[in-house]
Amino acid sequence: MRKKIIEMRGIVKTYYQGTPNELEILHGIDLDVYEGEFLSIVGASGSGKSTLMNILGALDRPTKGHYYLDHLPMENVKDDGLSQIRNKKIGFVFQTFNLIPRSTALKNVALPMLYGGVPRSERSRRAADLLQLVEMSGRSHHRPNELSGGQKQRVAIARAMANDPAIILADEPTGALDSHTGRLVMDIFHRLHQEQGKTIILITHNAELAEETERTIRLRDGSIVDNRRNNQYQLGGYYESV
Amino acid sequence: MNLFENIRLALEGLRANKMRALLTMLGIIIGIASVMAISTLGSAMTGSVTKTMDKIGGKNIMVSLSPKNYDTQSTLQEDDLITQEELDAFRNTYSDQIKAISFSTGMGSGQLNSGFIHKDVSITGASPDYGLVNNVNLVQGRFISNRDMDGNRNVIIIDTTLRNNLVGVDGDVIGKEVQVDTKSTNETYTVIGVYEKMVIDNPLFYMGDDTRVECFIPITTAKSLNPDTANTVGYESFTIMATSNTDSAAFAQTTKDYFIKGMSPLSDFTIEAQSLEAIASEATGMLGTLSLGISVIAGISLLVGGIGVMNIMLVSVTERTKEIGIRKALGARNSAIRSQFIIEAMIICLIGGIIGVGLGSVLGITGSTLMKFPSTPPIGPMIIALCFSMAIGVFFGFYPANKAAKLDPIDALRYE
Repeated sequence: MRKKIIEMRGIVKTYYQGTPNELEILHGIDLDVYEGEFLSIVGASGSGKSTLMNILGALDRPTKGHYYLDHLPMENVKDDGLSQIRNKKIGFVFQTFNLIPRSTALKNVALPMLYGGVPRSERSRRAADLLQLVEMSGRSHHRPNELSGGQKQRVAIARAMANDPAIILADEPTGALDSHTGRLVMDIFHRLHQEQGKTIILITHNAELAEETERTIRLRDGSIVDNRRNNQYQLGGYYESV
Repeated sequence: MNLFENIRLALEGLRANKMRALLTMLGIIIGIASVMAISTLGSAMTGSVTKTMDKIGGKNIMVSLSPKNYDTQSTLQEDDLITQEELDAFRNTYSDQIKAISFSTGMGSGQLNSGFIHKDVSITGASPDYGLVNNVNLVQGRFISNRDMDGNRNVIIIDTTLRNNLVGVDGDVIGKEVQVDTKSTNETYTVIGVYEKMVIDNPLFYMGDDTRVECFIPITTAKSLNPDTANTVGYESFTIMATSNTDSAAFAQTTKDYFIKGMSPLSDFTIEAQSLEAIASEATGMLGTLSLGISVIAGISLLVGGIGVMNIMLVSVTERTKEIGIRKALGARNSAIRSQFIIEAMIICLIGGIIGVGLGSVLGITGSTLMKFPSTPPIGPMIIALCFSMAIGVFFGFYPANKAAKLDPIDALRYE
């Protein structure tokens, strides 16, 4: 039996709590994610995807419910602890890349290690290795504005991998890319999943991309309405088909 | 995350906005530069005052009889004068505080003649201790002796320029006879010594350009040649040289009290005693007030500069909201964000401080050189100025940095 890396029980998120505008976005989410799983979360705008992702990513706290990340009960963790969890356990990949504009690709990749207290020389070495992994070695000294969208996203993926996190949280990683470069980015995720056994959570509204993952969770109006294994995997797997 | 990483991050941030950083520094630069310039100039002036005081005798106390009431015409009476006996008694009483007592009396100007050479001179009658008390720098021969005094001898001490005129540069003039005409006398003197004129190149002590040569003769000779004083036995003024460990200002008061006791209460005259040190400290005190005033203005400039730094840091935090969000998402703690911005503000202020210290020192040294005060860059004020500028950075950087640290990561990430 695979290890449970995420366990959510009865997660409720309410905004403007105690005011007349009180708004409940998530109505009691139960979710388990296993180590090495490639999971997708889909849903229309306003379904609560982003809110769920913020809670999963330790950027936000649930109003109610329990969240265990790598068996660690998150409700007991203070702000600095959340920073540390984001640093060590979670790798973010954003739709808009979110690279630091005036730093080179190499420095962007090294940034989480800087906050993780990794010594300078090791940071550079590991950052270079990670850029090689995403085939961006040749552009390690370029700034983000000198890179194309797909290249930026590859740098961002390398950065997400910097501290060898337990999960990679990818929020619409192909949303700002054309379908060809989007394909390349998705292939990198598949490779990380297959070759390195990374746990990846892909948040998307693209049903086709979701189909590529092992399991899809569908959110509607703040509740999980569907949770199923995808066909290729039942048939023997997507990877055998490519 | 250590300090070096923070400094590196801050420098990266500043490099991205060089012009803005420089303009922000301007307030700090101007403030620090003016403080530095003033303190350089001030210490140069104070230093030169002290040096000049040492040269002309900072431990000297000038004692003189002066009228109690300047409105009425008062004439000195014979028994107002301070006699040699009174002085000897005074000297014995305070022997541990008195190094020397000298007397002098001006005989006015005249003409010194020797062969075809005629020179304008001023003649001063002096006592043997005059040379010591007034730092007369003898280069040839000797100064006035007690025997010269007792014998009312016609001996004279001239200066080097006059010597050069009479017998050529470094020539032997000792024993040469010169003739001096003043308003009421026409005497022949034997040269017994040559002194080098003291050069006081301190504008604070500027006393006019006197091109006349001052020559010294025994005070007894001078008195005997003046019909008004020929028969008097006392002095109306003298100079006390205090020992080096004596508080000359306090001793001036003691001296005054001592001699007033000995005077007739009916006399129209009283005793004034003033130490050169006290006069000098008045001058330096004035300087201190002046530099305090300028320092206040510089302080205001620093305050304005600091507010400028705070303002630009607030702009920078707003501009970099998204970046702050990214950093937080990647695991930066609040404290890391806070120190990044505080250090950035500190570095702005420190660089401004360094430029200001450099500029201020150059200004101060140039200024004091132009005013002929020898000056060295003051290391103490430099260090204080640099520490102070960093403190401004911390103080004015804290609020923006704290604002950045407290940003909600989700809101910050969403910021466009």
